[in-house]
Amino acid sequence: MLKAEHLSKVFVRTVLEESKKKTMKKSVKEEFYAVNHISLEVEKGEILGILGPNGAGKTTLLRMLGTLMEPTEGKVTIEDSKGNLLTDPVEMKKSIGYLSGNTKLYHRLSTREMLTMLGEIYGLSKEECEKRSEEIFNVLDMKSFCDNRIEKLSTGQTQRASIARCLIHNPDIYIFDEPTLGLDILSADAIVNFMKEQKKLGKTVLYSTHYLEEAQFLCDRVLMIYKGSILKEGTPKQIMEDTKTENLREAFHVIMEGVDNQ
Amino acid sequence: MRVTRMKSLFKRELTDIFRDRKTLIMMVLVPLLLYPLLIVGMTLITSAVASDQEEKLYEVAFYQVDEQDKIKDVLEKNKEELSYELTIVSTENPEKDLMEKKLDAYVSSEEKDGKVQYYIHYLSAETDSCTAADVLFDGMELLREELRKEKVAELNLDETAVLYPISYEQTDMSTKEESMGSMLGSIIPMLMITSICLGAIYPAIDVTAGEKERGTLETLLTLPVTNFELIMSKFLAVSVIACISAFLNIISMAGAFGFMFSFLADSAGGVVFDFASFIPAIVISIVIMMVFALFVTAACMCVCIFAKSFKEANNYITPVLLVFMFASYSAMLPDFKLTTGTAAIPIINITLLIKDIFNFQYNYGLFAIVFFTNLAYSLLTIMVLGKIYNSEAILFSEGFTSLKIFNKRSEMKKGQMPRYGDLILLICISLLAIFYIGSYATVKWGFWGVFVQQLIILLIPICYGWYMKTDFKKLFAIKIPGIKDIFAAICVFAGGFCINLLLSNVLSAFMKESAENLQTTFDYLLEQPFVLIVFVMSVMPAVGEELMFRGFTFGTLKEKNKPVVAMLITSIIFGCYHFSLVKLIPTGFLGFLLAMLVYRTGSIFTGMLMHFLNNFVSLFVSKYEEQLVAKYPDFMDLSFGLGQNVNLILMMVIGVVFLVVGFMLTSGSKKKL
Repeated sequence: MLKAEHLSKVFVRTVLEESKKKTMKKSVKEEFYAVNHISLEVEKGEILGILGPNGAGKTTLLRMLGTLMEPTEGKVTIEDSKGNLLTDPVEMKKSIGYLSGNTKLYHRLSTREMLTMLGEIYGLSKEECEKRSEEIFNVLDMKSFCDNRIEKLSTGQTQRASIARCLIHNPDIYIFDEPTLGLDILSADAIVNFMKEQKKLGKTVLYSTHYLEEAQFLCDRVLMIYKGSILKEGTPKQIMEDTKTENLREAFHVIMEGVDNQ
Repeated sequence: MRVTRMKSLFKRELTDIFRDRKTLIMMVLVPLLLYPLLIVGMTLITSAVASDQEEKLYEVAFYQVDEQDKIKDVLEKNKEELSYELTIVSTENPEKDLMEKKLDAYVSSEEKDGKVQYYIHYLSAETDSCTAADVLFDGMELLREELRKEKVAELNLDETAVLYPISYEQTDMSTKEESMGSMLGSIIPMLMITSICLGAIYPAIDVTAGEKERGTLETLLTLPVTNFELIMSKFLAVSVIACISAFLNIISMAGAFGFMFSFLADSAGGVVFDFASFIPAIVISIVIMMVFALFVTAACMCVCIFAKSFKEANNYITPVLLVFMFASYSAMLPDFKLTTGTAAIPIINITLLIKDIFNFQYNYGLFAIVFFTNLAYSLLTIMVLGKIYNSEAILFSEGFTSLKIFNKRSEMKKGQMPRYGDLILLICISLLAIFYIGSYATVKWGFWGVFVQQLIILLIPICYGWYMKTDFKKLFAIKIPGIKDIFAAICVFAGGFCINLLLSNVLSAFMKESAENLQTTFDYLLEQPFVLIVFVMSVMPAVGEELMFRGFTFGTLKEKNKPVVAMLITSIIFGCYHFSLVKLIPTGFLGFLLAMLVYRTGSIFTGMLMHFLNNFVSLFVSKYEEQLVAKYPDFMDLSFGLGQNVNLILMMVIGVVFLVVGFMLTSGSKKKL
């Protein structure tokens, strides 16, 4: 189970302002909330979708939940499968499988070498590591290319290698940031199926996406965020009922229009 | 920091670097092929150019010269000696021809004060013209010689007595190895520093900016490791590469220069060089270059870490490389020597040290300064690196606006204890402050410089403690000692003093030269009024050094270590701080006793008292040595003469008894830290 309380992240950005001398612009530093006091809770066996337009703060939120970034305010806690409450980022990372468009793999290693290396860092013994790698290769059907250097793999194969990376330490929580972005239908479906499988195993899944159809049938609950704050939260069905729409895409439009009118 | 995690991270970084062909080329091929090729090529080209010049015909002319036949004769006769050949051409307008480079040089003449004045016209901007002019000049010298001889013969005088009343000759007393070393010393530093930079830069960019560019950084951040572990594993991996490349460079250079000199020796008629005499220089070079490689690595990584891509990193690193290269040229400046001042300047100190060792000048005190300052620079740069890498602004490439290297005092937690990082920072800062401010002050103001130096030692731990809002009472063990503790301090002082005298005497017998150096610096300080000396050299060190070593250093170390380990490390640092091989063991031993005393009494003041007594007695004895010897000859001979073995053993026994009594006095107290 993953829980976040009043999570905020403040960034500094530079803004160009008109100065007294007309020819020059003055650069002013300005603080702004990329994520503004968001609280959420995701249970075991639940898939939570995070939706929102570009720049809404989805990636920053997920990075904080994955403890890649330190929140300016608020905190994240994890209850692992043994019932321990974790607060230390290093310990929490052991229960999290994090995947995003930015988590590329080491080109000069083979998938097998990468898994062995990661396993060591996660504290697995050599035997455990080998056993687990074999399992993963079977499940993801990677036998044929697991000893090739990653730079030689195709996009779909690389994506599978990426998933293998998240699986090696058998985490309780998966955090996926737009995992199906730019993939062909087969690879995207493979990932969607993977998330479903993990849900069945009682794992917690958090993921962000722009594909609302995908979210509609996959997620137990969705979170719509805009400018760092939660706009709407609930099951897809609930949201559609509230906005009197047929699907999430239309619901999204209705909600965004509401914001614009305000 | 977990060792196993670090190990796997480090292993991964190394595998990654080694699988990159570009790194291997930079690291292995460049040193192993480039130097040999460059040096062998240069040797061959230089000798080819020289022989080419000899074979060349130079065109010269005589313009309005009456005695040109005589000159031509002399030139012709001495062709072999001059080793260049001239063809004489005739010309109407020699100046124009020279300007148009049809001529290499020409001679003109005029009558002046009743004798003939010749002028050799040439172009200094043209190499051929210069050579031709030199040959003509030599020819004229020969002609004058010949004319003199004729005159002497005409007057029937003794040729030798008139023309050569004395004879003289230059004799080079340098051995062949020395002249070779002097030449090597001026070029090797530059080659070596450049090649280490080249070896380190590529992997440094690869593990920082390259990682960002390939998008694997975020993957690393998902791993259960701290940012410090990440950057340290990267740092270690790049350092290993830089060290390997330093090592390969030195070996390759030794080989290439070996070839060059044996080539030159062959052509000079079978002179044999003693290459073995350079082995110490090579060994010291390797050691110092390893430390330097750490510094270069950390510096390069500090810069590259800001870049988002390879290209950007290359732009950032170029000015850094230029600074390193220009600093490395300093060895070529003839009068630029390694001194206490220059030994603390980064890069330049390495250059000058290598220059020194190849000139067979071994000043181990200065070498120690170079070694420790470089270590300090490396550690400081590594800490800055760690700080930068911990910043999300840098990791997620959001610009420099939120980069924070140092925390404000207002952000410090009250009552916190310093950690290892703080201790390393404190020691490095003190070290550099002593070298820069302290040695400058000592040179400039003599005795008062020592005062400044002591003030630095005193103020730095206090300021650092204030800045981080530490618990002064706990860290510095500030507590009024009991009477028993004061007696214990006196006893331990007496015991330590006896044993230290013994140690110092035994050691200075082994290392006579450095002991003499020590004595002279002491004498010069003793000219001041005694009260002042006591204040600056006993009271101030007793307070300052105790706060620094038994306070801050020991206080920090004992938090996470067993007391004995903390005492040992403190005493090693204390020993090294005195920058003298002779003093290392005695001061280290003293430092251990002080740390143990402070630990067992729980009060820094006992340490201060013992330290004061120790310094005071040494000062007193040096100041009034003659009077004391006159008054108590037996005692002085017993305590400081140490002429006979009986005294050695006696001193040892007295020392041990005092120590045992001293520490027994403290053993009952419950005031331990």
